[in-house]
Amino acid sequence: MENPYIPYPVTIEEITIENEARDLKTFKLVFDRKEDEEKFRYLPGQFAELSLFGKGESPIGIASSPTEKGFLLFTVKRAGLVTSELHSSETGRKIGVRGPLGKPFPWERMEGHNIVIVGGGFAFTTLRSAITYILHPQNRPKFGKLMTIYGARTPGELLYKKDLEIWSKDDRIELHVTVDKATEGWKGREGLVPNIVKEVSPSPKNAIALVCGPPIMIRFTIPVLLNLGFAEDDIILSLEMRMKCGIGKCGRCNIGARYVCVDGPVFTYKELEGLPAEY
Amino acid sequence: MKQGILTLSELTKFIELLKTSYKVFAPVKKEEGVFFEEVNSADDIALGYYNSKLPPKRLFLPQCEVLCTFENGQLVEIPIADEKCAIFGMRPCDALALSRIDMVFDKEDLKDPYYLARRKNTVLLSLVCDKPLDTCFCTSVGGGPSSGDGSDIRMVHLGNRLLLEALTEKGESLISSAKQFLKKPKQSDLEEKEKIVAESEKKVPRIKVDGIKENLEKGFNLPLWSAIAERCLGCGVCTYLCPTCYCFDITDEVKGEKGKRIRTWDSCQYPLFTLHASGHNPRPSKTERMRQRIMHKFFYAVENFGRTFCVGCGRCVRSCPVNLDLRESIELITGNKACVSTRK
Repeated sequence: MENPYIPYPVTIEEITIENEARDLKTFKLVFDRKEDEEKFRYLPGQFAELSLFGKGESPIGIASSPTEKGFLLFTVKRAGLVTSELHSSETGRKIGVRGPLGKPFPWERMEGHNIVIVGGGFAFTTLRSAITYILHPQNRPKFGKLMTIYGARTPGELLYKKDLEIWSKDDRIELHVTVDKATEGWKGREGLVPNIVKEVSPSPKNAIALVCGPPIMIRFTIPVLLNLGFAEDDIILSLEMRMKCGIGKCGRCNIGARYVCVDGPVFTYKELEGLPAEY
Repeated sequence: MKQGILTLSELTKFIELLKTSYKVFAPVKKEEGVFFEEVNSADDIALGYYNSKLPPKRLFLPQCEVLCTFENGQLVEIPIADEKCAIFGMRPCDALALSRIDMVFDKEDLKDPYYLARRKNTVLLSLVCDKPLDTCFCTSVGGGPSSGDGSDIRMVHLGNRLLLEALTEKGESLISSAKQFLKKPKQSDLEEKEKIVAESEKKVPRIKVDGIKENLEKGFNLPLWSAIAERCLGCGVCTYLCPTCYCFDITDEVKGEKGKRIRTWDSCQYPLFTLHASGHNPRPSKTERMRQRIMHKFFYAVENFGRTFCVGCGRCVRSCPVNLDLRESIELITGNKACVSTRK
C-alpha cells in the first residue's frame, strides 16, 4: 500500500514573481526521482499539498498542464506559515509534493463542447492549466471554441503575463483580459469581470463554463452566465478550503456531506446549489 | 472452533496465552474511572465495569502519532507500527464505533495505512454489556449491548465464566489456539446468554431518533442551532471522548535539525479547525460548529455510509461541563421533546 501521507521529493527549479505586490510567486518544481513523476498523473483542476518539513503543508492548485513534461507549476499567495516560508525560499531548495489530489475539471464531459473560461485574480492558476491543456495540438481538436475572460485588479496583478502575450496572438483562443482599474500604459480593457462577460456575451450553445475567482466575482458572474442561458450544470466552479490530509479523512473541508478535497475541489454550480452555503 | 466457555479461574492462563502473541489491553480500574491499559495479568482486569472513561479508539488512532520524521528538511520515513495487540473486554458500542471509523479510513481507493495496520494487527474481544448506564442509548442508534460489529470475538459474562463466540476468522483462530482452556458451551449457557442480552437490552434507555436525517436535511437554517449551542463552551470534550470522532490535525514539530510530522486529534468544535489562511472561516461561531457536529453524525455520515456516526455510548452526555445533552438536542430536532433528562 502506498502511504498517501508521504510526499514525493522535488526541487524548486525556478521562482517567478508574478505581481507588483510580490505576494504571488510561481514555483517550478522538478521531481527528484523520475519514477515519481510518472506516478504523479494529473489533469487540470486538481491540486496537491506542498510540503515543507518543519513548517507543514499547504493545498495549492496545479498551474501546469500534464502536457508540459518534466515539471510542475504552483502559483502561491503568501498568506500563512507554509506559504510564507515558501516565499522566502530560493531555487535549489528541496521540498515535497503530495498528490495529485481531488477531482479535475470534467474533461470527458467537456470534450466536443465550446469552452468558456472566466477567471479573476490569483484563482487563475488551474485555469492556466486548463487553457494550456486545451491548446496542446493533440487536445485542441477535441474541443470547440475556446474563449477566456480574465481579470485582475490592476495590470500589475495579472498572472502569467508571458502566457497571456502568447495566447493573445493565438487564433485558437479568444482572449479578453481586463483590469478593474487601468494604470498608465494599459491598452487593454477596463471593467469588472462580470461586466466584461456580459459585454462579450459568450454563447451558451453547446458550451461549458469554467469559473474561478474571488467570491465576489463568482457571485456576480453566475447570474450573468445564467441570464445568457448557461445551464446550472454547465457552470463549473472550483473551491478552496482549509485542508490537512487532502484524502477525505481529517474532517475539516466538508460542505454538507461532500468533502472539497476528494469530492471537489471542482463542483458544478448545480451541485453547489444543492449543498448548504457553508463555504 | 467457534465457541467456548472460559471459567474465570482459567482467565489468568488465558491472558498469559494471549501475552505470548499479543500486547494485551483490558479495562483497568483507576481512581478516576476505568481505562484501557496494557495489562500484565488477569488480576489487573476490571471485568464488571460500566464503560471506560475514554473510548479505546486511541489504541487505533492515538491522540498523537508520528507520521514521518525529517532531518535537515529531508524526509526520513519510519516503519508503520506492526505490533500485535489484543483488546480484551471492549464494550460493544466502542467496537461498533470502530466499524464506523473503518468506513472512513478503509475506503476502496483512499486508505489510511497507520490506522489500518493497527486494525489488522489487533484482535478484538468485546464484552456484552450487562451494565448500561442511564445515559446510554445504543439501541436507539443501531447498536445494542450485544452488537458484534467491529469485534472478532464476542464474550458474555455468565457469573463465574465467560462464553466466547468467534465472529471473524481472526477470532476463530484465537479460540482454536486457546482450546486447552475452553469447554464446549452447554445449552444452558446459551440460554443464560440470551437472558442476559434480553435483560440488558431492556435496561438501555431509548430516545426517539426516527426521522432525524429527514429533519436535518431540511433543517440547516433552523433557529434551534443557536439555542443548542448557546450553553456550549467549545471545549471539545464531546468530540475527544466520542468513540466515532476521528478528525485530526497534522503539524510539524522541530528540534534543532530534526523534526517529526505529527497527527493529533482535532475537533470540529474549535474555530481554528476550519479557519482559512485568508482569515475567512466557514464555521465562524459555535452555532455552526455545533451544527456541524450533529449534522455530521446524524445526516452527512448517513448520506455517505448509510450509518449514524453515534453509537449511543453517552460519554458526551456524561462529560459535558455545562450539561449539554446530545439526547435532548436529538429530540429537539426530531420534535419529540419527551427525553428524560437524568441530570437532576
